[in-house]
Amino acid sequence: MQPDVEIDRLSKRYLVATPRHAPAAPRSWLRRFGRRDRRPFWALRDLNLAVPRGETLGIVGSNGAGKSTLLKLLSGITAPTSGEIRLYGRVAALIEVGSGFHPELTGRENVYLSGSILGMRRAEIATKLEKIVGFAEVGDFIDTPVKWYSSGMYVRLGFAVAAHLEPEILLVDEVLSVGDERFQGRCLRRVGELRQAGTTIIIISHDLASIERVCDRVVLLERGRIAADGDPAPVIAEYRRRLIAAAAAPSDEDARFAPEPVDCSLHV
Amino acid sequence: MAIPVRVIRPVSWTTVRPGEALARLADHGDLFRTLTLHRLSVRYKQSLLGPAWAVLQPLALMAIFTVVFTRLVRMPSDGVPYGVFAYAGLLAWTFFSTASTNGTTSLVSHAQLVTKVYFPREILPATYVAAALVDLAIALAGLLVLLLWFRIPPTMNTLALAPALLVLAMLGTACALVLAAFQVHVRDIGAALPLVLQVGMFVSPVLYPLSAVPARWYGWYILNPLAGAVDGFRRATLGLRPDFWALGVSALIAAIALPLAYLLFKRTEATVADVV
Repeated sequence: MQPDVEIDRLSKRYLVATPRHAPAAPRSWLRRFGRRDRRPFWALRDLNLAVPRGETLGIVGSNGAGKSTLLKLLSGITAPTSGEIRLYGRVAALIEVGSGFHPELTGRENVYLSGSILGMRRAEIATKLEKIVGFAEVGDFIDTPVKWYSSGMYVRLGFAVAAHLEPEILLVDEVLSVGDERFQGRCLRRVGELRQAGTTIIIISHDLASIERVCDRVVLLERGRIAADGDPAPVIAEYRRRLIAAAAAPSDEDARFAPEPVDCSLHV
Repeated sequence: MAIPVRVIRPVSWTTVRPGEALARLADHGDLFRTLTLHRLSVRYKQSLLGPAWAVLQPLALMAIFTVVFTRLVRMPSDGVPYGVFAYAGLLAWTFFSTASTNGTTSLVSHAQLVTKVYFPREILPATYVAAALVDLAIALAGLLVLLLWFRIPPTMNTLALAPALLVLAMLGTACALVLAAFQVHVRDIGAALPLVLQVGMFVSPVLYPLSAVPARWYGWYILNPLAGAVDGFRRATLGLRPDFWALGVSALIAAIALPLAYLLFKRTEATVADVV
């Protein structure tokens, strides 16, 4: 089966400023002026993953496991340090609700603004406007500046715009946790609709129950690598087991502050 | 075997593909339009005078400089009343400085967006250049009134307005792209820019004509790409023949600088979200 997303030996290194209390190597003040001491931190390391068309993939893992970094790489927000991602469809990311809302603009103006930031065309937004307003349940407030919205209305309108994207590949980050329970239900239903329509979906969430319900497959990330990959129930069970084990033992975060590998290029 | 719609790779000078980047930019034309309209409408929300500010700002500066350079000291002005002369020069200068100032801070001021959503980042500085261009168009209406008042008729030379404006816009965009990319790493750029622009206004023919520059300095003077563009813009609006030599030098520098600025911007773009 033709995959929609192919990830090949993907790595992402961040340079993290050294904490002040750490012993700094002696060097001239001139060099320190120019460049702060930074150590490499590998958020993702040699990740391989293929997502078939139409699959709903859940990604779980504790904070700092590399989930958000993976989504940022997939959406093109940041570039990998090495490796390659091949995408076989139009990508849209539901990364944060209300992206690009401006408080002085009305709900309607913000729908256009946010919609075009997320990659919709003006004509497309115009035809979907009614559905978006209906989904957000903001009613007559659509022509009121959003600075006067309640926080619930703001979030609902933001999600409503993003929910009406029609990409071939949809990336979802933690949006399942916004709004009240009724709204969350609608969001999950919307994800279900897109899934029915054959959209490839990659979801990140800490809401393990939802992940287990909507996903075909789950990947567990741990320290930038894949620790488990397979059917939702066993992978989530494994994740729960590791969470309990981790709570018992102290963590060793320093493991990922490693020197740069000699060769991390794939262009051979 | 299907062909990927998009391949994401590490970024380096050798992997920057200008053709691909421009195609993606063209694909985001609607975002460019929406954001430009947004700049204009947000600016005039809760403002009484609204777009009139585009005329009032150069007009106020013109009034001050006219008093100084006609009452206190005499400044040559290519044979037209100093007020019109200064206003036309200030329009060109204000356009360039507004475009580059706002463009420079655009990535940092949109950090929230840049770290959450992908779109070609050059759209951010570019929309500020476009918004400054709209302000310029409004301010040109004010210039038209002045030209009618002083009975300065358009001539064939007025046609040179288009190339002069194009060169100015290219220079403003190039400046905004480079400085925006650096501003992400070093915030000193934004702090130093007003100072640099203030100096720039005096080393460019804004308040005095290019024709007043001593001949022995001329060769060096026109290496400032704004010299030929600002003076050419003004002379064209006044119906005078631009200094095509100086304008040509400006155009050449702009034609080299803009592609280089774009490449530099695209090179740094991919990691902006990590640093900003």
